[in-house]
Amino acid sequence: MTRWISCACGLIAMTWITAGPAVAHHSFGAEYDVNKPVTITGVVTEIDWRSPHTFFFVDVTGTDGKVANWKFEGYPPTVLNRLGWKKDQTMKPGDRITVTGWRARDGSNWAHSREITLTDGRKLMFGPPAGTGDGGSAPAVDVR
Amino acid sequence: MTRRVIVALMVLSLIPASAFAQAGSAVPRGPDGKPDLTGVWQGGSTLRGSWDDANSGFGVGGSGKNPDAPPVVGSNERPAGREGAPYQEWAAKKVLESFNKRAIDDPTALCLPPGVPRSVMLGLFPQKIVQTPKEIVVLYEYMHTFRMIPLNAKHPDDVLASYMGDSVGHWEGDTLVVDVIGFNDKTWLAGTGTFHSEALHITERYTRVDRDRINYEVTMDDPKVFTKPWAVTSSLMLREGTRVQEYVCAENNLDPANFEKLLKAGAQISR
Repeated sequence: MTRWISCACGLIAMTWITAGPAVAHHSFGAEYDVNKPVTITGVVTEIDWRSPHTFFFVDVTGTDGKVANWKFEGYPPTVLNRLGWKKDQTMKPGDRITVTGWRARDGSNWAHSREITLTDGRKLMFGPPAGTGDGGSAPAVDVR
Repeated sequence: MTRRVIVALMVLSLIPASAFAQAGSAVPRGPDGKPDLTGVWQGGSTLRGSWDDANSGFGVGGSGKNPDAPPVVGSNERPAGREGAPYQEWAAKKVLESFNKRAIDDPTALCLPPGVPRSVMLGLFPQKIVQTPKEIVVLYEYMHTFRMIPLNAKHPDDVLASYMGDSVGHWEGDTLVVDVIGFNDKTWLAGTGTFHSEALHITERYTRVDRDRINYEVTMDDPKVFTKPWAVTSSLMLREGTRVQEYVCAENNLDPANFEKLLKAGAQISR
């Protein structure tokens, strides 16, 4: 109860008082389509821990038995570190995972990641929410 | 008696944990008696506690342990309730263009330094303040930038235009007042497209109101683009135990090439 109230107060305060955190260095909306959510399960083939964004690759076996390699983008290493990720430990090539996100505008096997369900069932965030960094719902100026 | 205890406990359970943090949280002070701002801070947050405490659930970018939590408003977004930035009519159109292009022209997409006050109000990356009696240094993880703020000093006569500007500070009571000039015109201030000219003059006021919180008030003045100075308030929250680490944006920045490729392919990016 206490925690709930504390959270609710914090939420209201954050919504109304602060100019809150910026969450990415580039526009989500320029590259990804919020109307194309995707959830896939597959085997991790590679994780590229680099700034400004970490990428990982997943082999996904289709119903026809064919394997497609998907690319997912996410937070930079320092942000992942603060979210509880440990390089070469939390997720490794060969791990079977489920990832949710949104597909790139070009329709290729490329997506923006949000949540990963690890082999042991733990869920961790790998990328920011849809719409991050593309300007929000209202411009900084009043539209006349 | 037992009943009174139970009632007291029930009342206590309704008080947010943050209220306890506030009580008795004296502002640390240096040998000169001034508030000591030294520490690792998170911009744009109002929540007390460690990085984990404040950023789980509905924390940074809505990330953390609750995927259903609403995202926090970004510093390139306009928070609800904030007055529109006072741009001159021609300049407001330019700001709107960037918004309609979904911030594809954000200078930080090229890994350029975010400038002031954007660097201060960022929440995804921590910043470290190191205070000495004569100079205050701020180290920003995002884009790996820094600011040096000599106290009771004058701006040099030969300031070169830069992304982060030239800062000098002084104390007004318990408030650190920082005067910043010498900007180039290549950064955004506090929201998508919020450009400025080299005439930008910023005044920041940092007030450590208790152990956990610095109130941040910034006034941006630029007669070439604004009709009047633009004032924004935010806060910095202490994040003990958090490290400022290395962030080298240019290491593998694929975004500008992706933007170009998608536009060439005819992707409908504009709102």
